[in-house]
Amino acid sequence: MAALVLPAGLLVLLLLGAPMALMARYSFNTYDPLYLMQEAFTWANYTKAVTDEFYRDILFTTLWVSLLSTFITTLLAFGPAYWLARMESSWKSKLTILTLFPLLVGGVVRSAGYIALLGNEGAINAALRGLGLISHPIAMLYTPFAVVVGIVGVVLPYMVLTLAAVIEGIPRQAEEAAANLGARPSTVFFRVLLPLSLPGVLAGATLVFILCMNAYATPVLLGGPKFHMMAPAVYDQFTRVSNWPFGAALAFILLVVTILMTSIGSLLIGRRARPA
Amino acid sequence: MAALDIQGLEKTYANGFTAVAGLDLKIGKGELVSLLGPSGCGKTTTLRMVAGFIDPTAGRITIEGREVTHLPAHARDTGMVFQSYALFPHMSVAQNVAFGLEMRKVGRAEREARTVEALKRVQLDHLAERYPRQLSGGQQQRVALARALVVNPAVFLLDEPLSNLDAKLRGEVRSEIRALQQALGLTTLMVTHDQEEALTMSDRLVVMEGGRVRQAGTAEDLYERPADAFVANFVGRSNLIRGRLAEGAFEAASGTRLACVPGGAGTGPLVFALRPERIGLSVGDDATGEPAVLKEILYLGAQTEYVVALGAERLTVIRPTPAAGDPLHAARPGDGVRARWTPEHVRLLPDT
Repeated sequence: MAALVLPAGLLVLLLLGAPMALMARYSFNTYDPLYLMQEAFTWANYTKAVTDEFYRDILFTTLWVSLLSTFITTLLAFGPAYWLARMESSWKSKLTILTLFPLLVGGVVRSAGYIALLGNEGAINAALRGLGLISHPIAMLYTPFAVVVGIVGVVLPYMVLTLAAVIEGIPRQAEEAAANLGARPSTVFFRVLLPLSLPGVLAGATLVFILCMNAYATPVLLGGPKFHMMAPAVYDQFTRVSNWPFGAALAFILLVVTILMTSIGSLLIGRRARPA
Repeated sequence: MAALDIQGLEKTYANGFTAVAGLDLKIGKGELVSLLGPSGCGKTTTLRMVAGFIDPTAGRITIEGREVTHLPAHARDTGMVFQSYALFPHMSVAQNVAFGLEMRKVGRAEREARTVEALKRVQLDHLAERYPRQLSGGQQQRVALARALVVNPAVFLLDEPLSNLDAKLRGEVRSEIRALQQALGLTTLMVTHDQEEALTMSDRLVVMEGGRVRQAGTAEDLYERPADAFVANFVGRSNLIRGRLAEGAFEAASGTRLACVPGGAGTGPLVFALRPERIGLSVGDDATGEPAVLKEILYLGAQTEYVVALGAERLTVIRPTPAAGDPLHAARPGDGVRARWTPEHVRLLPDT
């Protein structure tokens, strides 16, 4: 049996472990505009990343956009997930596949679509102007609003499917029993359905949060040149500036913050999800 | 006034399937009535319509004078024990039991007192802080009972309450539920496919089939005076033989003649119904009765089941297991025996 794990294990070690180790090492090197990366051992890259206001802002932007997107995604996903989970018709499997359809369209193509929709000359502004509701276009593209909309659109299917899987495991009789004992639908939701769905909320939120933290195409294409998030910043350091040590340090900060946030989430929600 | 009054209740689904086709039932205060029938007979659908989980297509449901036909489940004041118990896994035993009181806005002190009292009734007060998954099936069942009872529901609903328990526990819980129901004077509607459960627990039984009531009455009514062959075979066992009356006796389709009291049964097609335990068997030269041949012997401990051939017909006979020395004790398949019964015990039922 152990032999079965070996190929995948080796692959992970080679393609994930090795580059990470290299990156970790690079992050302690120094950068010279002329000679690029220089062997060294210094915390200077990390110090710069957390003290330089520009990069600190990027980290905070990434955090709040990710948290907000995760929250909105959870709110939006619960209804469809419940509906899908409780569906009894033969449409259920077809709709489950349909939920995955948005993933067939890559992030770049989809962002192009959002540009056509949200731009100053885009479909929404054109429609509002055509109806005479506005005289000047509403700025939507190249705002954090556009980025959040774009990210939520990308991650929603993951949340719906994760939640649906967990809700399916909650016996319908538990909801019926609550109603039978006098609970209104809203009480059934808050006292029975939501507490029992928490493991699914946790799993979905963790997955979605990680995707948000590492979003690349959406912030670049919909946020515009003045909007910055971590993943594009890491990319910029590696390709445009060729400052590998600083790029590596930013990448590790992104990794550590992501792990930290998901761990805090697990602790907060996980404790309630598993009584006694 | 009936505590639960069901009139002309019907449920037809969008695909045209009729689960319940016009059901009338009145249950008096404190009475326990069972809906009995094979799966798909509409008994569970009926119970769920009373609880408010399924919206009836037609008919009226009245609980203690208040019409509830189309009210949502939470506004009906019924207390249901689910087949799967449906305890809230994230709440302790005490929280499960207190839930209904909380929904009724009962104050904290009274809530706690009534929760303890309800748990004492089912002898589980020492497990109040446990969680459902830490309890055995029988204990979970008792928590479900306490949770439904604590709110003093106008109607108590039991959905196959014993089907998830092992055989030994079943008898125990059966008498416990009946004792509680009688002590609290709860108007109860129970659904079961287990006739023994229905016979031992109910004041009255309603046998259903294909969405309709086949017969309603006391256990004795149904057992001794079944209205048709379906009831005769579903409640207890029966030897059922098709045929008609001819010259003062019953003549099976095969031509075999069987003793009965013709009464006013007429000359149409009939079903001869006779309980296996109403037939006597004897062996020996001085034995009386119809000559028959022993075909099978099934030893069941206290009782023995025999299959005998009487002419072209086969009859199942159940007798107390004969003691050693009884000639029947030594009988083997292939032996000749005499079968006899009191003609008055035969029921002649319409062949439908």
